[in-house]
Amino acid sequence: MPSFGFGLITAAVLAIATVGFTMQFAVTNVLNLAYGSVMINSAFVTYWVNRHGTSIWISLFAGVFCGAVVSWCLNKFIYTPFQRRNLVPITVVIVSLGVDLVGTFGLQAIVGGSFVTFNMSQGHEFHIVGMLLSEVQLIIFAICAVVLISIHWLLKYTRMGKAMRATSANPNLARNSGVKTRYIISMTWIISGALCGLAGTVFAMNSGVFEATSAQLYIVLLLAAMFLGGPGEPYGAMLGALTIGLATEISAAYIPADYKQVIAFLVLLGMLAFRPYGLFGSEKTL
Amino acid sequence: MPSSIGFYLTTVLVYGAVDALACLGLNMEFGVAGISNFGFIIFQAAGAYTAAVLSMSPSAATNGGFQQYVLGWNLPFPLPWIGATLVGGLLALPFVFLVGKRLRGDFAAVGLLVSAVLLNLLAKNYIPFLNGSAGISLVPAPLQNFFNPQGLVYQLAYGLFATLLAVLVYFLLRRVTESPYGRSLRAMRDNDIVADSLGKNLRGQRTSILVLGGMIAGLSGAVLVGFISLWAPGAWGYAETIVLFAAIIIGGAGNHKGAVLGALLVPLGFEEITRFLPPFGSPSLVPALEWVAIGLLIILFLWFRPNGVIPEKRRILSSVVGRTPTVAVAKDDDTEEPINIGSVDDFNFEGLLKTSNAVNDGRVILSTQGLTKTFNGVTVVSDVSITIEQGRLTGMIGPNGAGKSTTLAMLAGTLPVSSGKIFYEGNDITNVPSYKRAQMGLVRTFQLASEFKKLTVLENLVCAIPKQSGDSFWGSIRGRRYWGAQDKGNIERAEEILEGFGLSQYADAYAGTLSGGQRRLVEIMRALLAEPTVMLLDEPMAGVHPNLARKIGNHLTKLCERGMTIVMVEHELAIMDEFCDPVIVLAEGKVLARGTMAELRANSEVVEAYLVG
Amino acid sequence: MSVELSKQGLVLTTTKLSAGYDGRAIVSDITVEALPGKVVSVVGPNGSGKSTLLKALVGVVRVLEGRVKIAEQDITNLAPEEVAKLGVGYVPQIDDVFPPLSVKENLEIGGYLLNRHEIPDRMDAVLTFFPRLKGMMSRKAGKLSGGERKMLAMGRVLMLSPSVLVLDEPTANLAPMVATQLLEEFVRGFADHGSTVLLVEQRAKAALRISDWTYVLGGGRVVLQGAPKDLEGNPDFVESFLGGGAAARKPHDD
Repeated sequence: MPSFGFGLITAAVLAIATVGFTMQFAVTNVLNLAYGSVMINSAFVTYWVNRHGTSIWISLFAGVFCGAVVSWCLNKFIYTPFQRRNLVPITVVIVSLGVDLVGTFGLQAIVGGSFVTFNMSQGHEFHIVGMLLSEVQLIIFAICAVVLISIHWLLKYTRMGKAMRATSANPNLARNSGVKTRYIISMTWIISGALCGLAGTVFAMNSGVFEATSAQLYIVLLLAAMFLGGPGEPYGAMLGALTIGLATEISAAYIPADYKQVIAFLVLLGMLAFRPYGLFGSEKTL
Repeated sequence: MPSSIGFYLTTVLVYGAVDALACLGLNMEFGVAGISNFGFIIFQAAGAYTAAVLSMSPSAATNGGFQQYVLGWNLPFPLPWIGATLVGGLLALPFVFLVGKRLRGDFAAVGLLVSAVLLNLLAKNYIPFLNGSAGISLVPAPLQNFFNPQGLVYQLAYGLFATLLAVLVYFLLRRVTESPYGRSLRAMRDNDIVADSLGKNLRGQRTSILVLGGMIAGLSGAVLVGFISLWAPGAWGYAETIVLFAAIIIGGAGNHKGAVLGALLVPLGFEEITRFLPPFGSPSLVPALEWVAIGLLIILFLWFRPNGVIPEKRRILSSVVGRTPTVAVAKDDDTEEPINIGSVDDFNFEGLLKTSNAVNDGRVILSTQGLTKTFNGVTVVSDVSITIEQGRLTGMIGPNGAGKSTTLAMLAGTLPVSSGKIFYEGNDITNVPSYKRAQMGLVRTFQLASEFKKLTVLENLVCAIPKQSGDSFWGSIRGRRYWGAQDKGNIERAEEILEGFGLSQYADAYAGTLSGGQRRLVEIMRALLAEPTVMLLDEPMAGVHPNLARKIGNHLTKLCERGMTIVMVEHELAIMDEFCDPVIVLAEGKVLARGTMAELRANSEVVEAYLVG
Repeated sequence: MSVELSKQGLVLTTTKLSAGYDGRAIVSDITVEALPGKVVSVVGPNGSGKSTLLKALVGVVRVLEGRVKIAEQDITNLAPEEVAKLGVGYVPQIDDVFPPLSVKENLEIGGYLLNRHEIPDRMDAVLTFFPRLKGMMSRKAGKLSGGERKMLAMGRVLMLSPSVLVLDEPTANLAPMVATQLLEEFVRGFADHGSTVLLVEQRAKAALRISDWTYVLGGGRVVLQGAPKDLEGNPDFVESFLGGGAAARKPHDD
């Protein structure tokens, strides 16, 4: 049961991250492999603000802001220009790997290689349905739940959210309907970037100690969650993240903890082999 | 001090050779065959580990068993290196499922990247396998019982031997790429669906190249571990593959010399530069800056010089030695008729027809039964049953969205059927993959641009000719002496047909630089050279000057008289009138009617529904 | 039919228009005029560039030469979303709906430029027009049949109360009876209520029946034009469809 508790938190954080990641893919058709480095950079921005005396929950906003801005810049100055170039599609993916290197190791060059931790207390511990969760973990879970519900509300009920879904389904028709797709794409990157920044910070919170390369392998979990639900499907992302998050933590109860991520890998490879459009997608969406 | 310089130089030599080998292998996969193997490093790691555990004594016996690992067979040199090469190749096989299918290139690449991370994780944590994160140390150097591995002479010999291996691999790879097989690989890289339609076995080719690349990577690992005597998971994170990608992008993807240059500039270059930098900042600063530099180089090169320092070279094919390359610039205006197209009677038809086609008996050579195609619940082709007679030019017409191209695609095997059957020469070919159908003589063309952009026009044409002895991995290894004469004959045929269509001046131009109508002609020529028994043409005349279209139509008719069977989807009803008999009308995914154009015009249903509404 | 469904039309004209992809013209020297209250159809064999012409009007394909104007305002090469703002409703031939969105959401996107208060009323108006859509409001557009999709595509564009309707083969894939109904009731109806309608059709005879003026395209140029009653008797008209013609042909987009 305790691992279920961990699983929920892991899943919650992963869900935030994956929804952002999949939104970027949906609207730009690019696997942004630099996502992890934006996450960790945002966590460090939060850390820096936090270190100067601000409460962690306020500093969090700095991280979110950082994620939004950096992601928007990434799309505007790197991905979009490269896509206009009409090169082989894998080129942009290799570019994103390059960006990931610059982002992660540029950060390491600046802040050094040592571990840091946020200036915060874990708060009381609560026993809930057989799980032992700290105050912080509960807050993280609450934040994630609120954010996911907001995203759901955004996509399903707001004008902008519907425009985002329309743009990713059929950009030309969206423009013919009057949608300013450039603006919508920018907003998508800002919002998903904010999610990325939030995910990075709560990931760091949940990890306790972190350093510049802590999120380097997070991309694997992200990809597993996204492909499980279906590339470009936000609801699929939420469900995929829930499954992967829970599965990895629960599996830790049965196999040595170091291997708990193996499940994520196997799911990803399995999906790529048999159903690359995911559980929620269909052949034509690719 | 001379001896330390000597040691330093041998180190550079060995590292240079190892990096060159790795880059040559990856370049073969990525630059030549178009396989984005983001997990390349695991093959080098596998080779290093294999060489280690094959050459070491059993783990319990080493220094009181302080490290655990499998095998430990104490094999003498060169067996561990041979084992390493083999394991590197074998390791490629489980990954074929990622690159063999029609999975998007970037998805497959990501799958490979994740596999690298997974395997690294397993090696790091499962200690009995390869000693976990501590890795394997005290790996014996080759022949260390006979020579002193610390001596300068030994190390120099090691370095020279490693370099020799790199040189041998370089020439081996060149042999492969400069052969007809190399052409097929590059065609697969440029446009895999079209290569498939011309009879190239994509899965087979990708498997071969993954195995080859894996073997070279494995060898490079063995060479490295024999020199540095230790190998741990920390040395082969997935980021190492990125370094190699950076190397070949900067050096020049698709060019072996470029790969070697990239190896010297990036992995080797960075290592040596940082060796001589005075230490500054924290210990992690310099490595971090290295990574930043590599990331920046990747981005900058892909932006400013995506072809690298030494781009892939243009191949000039010629049946005659010493022909001057002709690279005419295509005119934009397609309305001008190419002046040189020969008359029908001059044309060498015999060269294009299989002798088995000589019997022109009008039998049913291709047919479908209840062919249906559904996409996501929308039925695009519904219960289509047609028969195609041998020796006739059958036309297929119908309004947009009638399902003509979809039907053609199912006949060719490009699209799988949802239900129904297809018969060819009496055999059920419904589940036969498209490349096999092409090899059986069922050849198709495409509606949209489908040339191999980075191949010259001549290469595009020669590539299509079937049964080339040099168009297989082993055939290419056997060298020009084996396939050269036949290739020369093939090039001659391609030159002939190029001349017949009046496009000789574009022989060495990259196919991507031609105008739309000219590319259309290349497509038709390519289909003809593929020695089809049945040609499936998808709007072949689109964008072609009407007089030229008429001439091509005449050629096609003549071919049918000599036994060719052609099915042609077209919009231009004048073409149907003049050349096609019978004509099948499709509308809304169903067969509406069949007959000559005159009969169809008299059929009020057809006229009503399609012709004039 | 409800009067609110379309606004009073605007004049749409092109002058010596050439347009195409990558700098290569697919249509050349096209001069077309569409007036309010009239149905203008563009017909011609496949490959003649009809779709490209429409795409050039709404900003999807680049105009290389010539002008496009709406009521004296030059909209040549204006971005598609700006063209939509001016009241031009475009229904493409394929990819005419948003498959993962529901029918209701498709219509909502159609009303993207409207004030949010206006949407429910407009949707009611559109649904009165296409009652069959009422029963499938929450169904995903990708799961509709061909005819239902077309209805949704037209409904989407009507949400905007367009002054100019540009339709690319609206009857493609429809059964003949449904096609006739679409053309004679809806398309003709829009025009009768004052809209400007520019229509590309492959069923030339059907198009003639509802048109006020028809242009025949061949090889990317206008080879014939006139009032339907004049064209019907004209032997050149039939020839241009069934005979192929001697006009130069270029890479087509249809």
